[in-house]
Amino acid sequence: MVEAVGATKSFGDVVAVSDVSFQIGSGVTAILGPNGAGKSTLFRMLCGLTQPSMGTVTVLGRNAGRDREIRGRIGLAPQQDALFDRLSARAFVALAAETHGVVEVDARTRDALERVGLDVDDPKPVGAFSKGMRQRVKLAAALVNDPDVLVLDEPLTGLDPVQRQRMIALFGELAARGKCLLVSSHVLDEVARLGSNVLVIAQGRLAAAGDYRSLRDLMDDRPHRVRVGTDRPRQLAGALVERGCARGVTVLEGAVIVDVDDIDRFGRVIAPLTVELGLRLDELVPLDDDLESVFRYLVERRR
Amino acid sequence: MNRSVSSVRAVLITHRLLVRQLLTRGRVLALLSLGAVMVLAAVGVAASAEVEDASRTIIEVIDGLGLILVVPVVSLVFASAALGDLREDGTLVYLWLRPMDRLSVVTGAYLAALTVSVPLTMLSLGCAAAVGGATADGIVATIVATAFGVLAYSGVFVLLGLMIRNSIIWGLAYVLLWEGLFAGFSEPIGKVAVRGYARSLLANLSEVDLGSAAAANTSTAVVVCVLVAVGSLAAAAVRLDRIDVA
Repeated sequence: MVEAVGATKSFGDVVAVSDVSFQIGSGVTAILGPNGAGKSTLFRMLCGLTQPSMGTVTVLGRNAGRDREIRGRIGLAPQQDALFDRLSARAFVALAAETHGVVEVDARTRDALERVGLDVDDPKPVGAFSKGMRQRVKLAAALVNDPDVLVLDEPLTGLDPVQRQRMIALFGELAARGKCLLVSSHVLDEVARLGSNVLVIAQGRLAAAGDYRSLRDLMDDRPHRVRVGTDRPRQLAGALVERGCARGVTVLEGAVIVDVDDIDRFGRVIAPLTVELGLRLDELVPLDDDLESVFRYLVERRR
Repeated sequence: MNRSVSSVRAVLITHRLLVRQLLTRGRVLALLSLGAVMVLAAVGVAASAEVEDASRTIIEVIDGLGLILVVPVVSLVFASAALGDLREDGTLVYLWLRPMDRLSVVTGAYLAALTVSVPLTMLSLGCAAAVGGATADGIVATIVATAFGVLAYSGVFVLLGLMIRNSIIWGLAYVLLWEGLFAGFSEPIGKVAVRGYARSLLANLSEVDLGSAAAANTSTAVVVCVLVAVGSLAAAAVRLDRIDVA
């Protein structure tokens, strides 16, 4: 349903998306990447909002920017917060329905608002809404034309846990009806709950693609760096190297920085080892467990 | 399933939305004040003992203040904001990623700007003409010249709003320098400025001589104003189709 072939987008000297290729069918596909990775630019290319500098991006076989009919089959919830602030939620979603050529505007508007848990009769302008409510207004507007392809840029941002759960269930329900959903996120745990297909975008490049489980395994299998706080760092460093638990060590004042290949084994070994050596274990801090470093690893691995 | 919106429907939806977006209290109050200055100037003309022929003088005031300042500035404020504001605040996507043709969206935006600008300018300049002692022909001339001036300027400024950011600043520079200054000094420049044709309508219909910069005949002036508007809207539709939307 959605295909990118060598898609590249540059803004002057800055390459936002570089040579990205993929094919996506129905179901939920999560686009995972840190802020500034190029997810929104990729989504904008998919929707035709900006044309690729090189390569092609098509939705249902056509370029959304050039094909009026295809634009009617896409629902987009953009990342930016801008809405027509003087309209009520109902008026905003009804406008989306009208501009999509929906016939039963009232019924479809009501249905879309109810699906995202917003009060249809709330007269307040959306400008007075909280971030989470505005997010749900955008989602309702994206759903109202019953699109074949839904492009949702960070749709769970600003939602409370209950609403997140509700939206994730809604995405699953739409996927079960054969819709193609592309959902971006920079939160790994969120992606785990969204679905099994994942594209990882880092530094504008497709760093990894596939099923969430294999990706998770890949992330867990990468080399890790851990700081171990102890009263006798030199002794601990020696023992770790001697027993093959560390690929490399750096001894600091009151701590050892340990490079580890097998983080699970290290986790099992470190506590008994300090007991055996009679050392004090002050802290155990992963130094590269943030998403940025996971992405960096995936990008480096790809080169 | 056909998911396209008919052209007429697209124009009506865009028009309805944008009239609402354009009518902010601040904008309307500021531009009503500008119109009030026009009416006050007319009251001054009517009350002045030094004015020998008020019906002629008020037409000159409408030419010098109304057509040079009020008409282009009011048109600029509303027409450049019609799609320009949406582009800048990120809401353009809600009209852009839709099965509606670009010309309909541009036309709807243009009509929305006219819906606000035409009554506002006609009211203030028409009142000024009446209060200042213009003849019936002078009042009609004022209204017609104002209408065609707004028609042409609004087309240009809808396009400008899609072309550049901070279109108000560039638009003001265009109004004050090109239309206001250069077009008054140079006849060739006057021929490619909207002002000359609006002035021609005012001069021809009121039968008041406004000089060589207002020398086009009535039908030429009407045709040029309409062509400027149509050409600008066509260019705006092309621009909208190719624009990078945030």
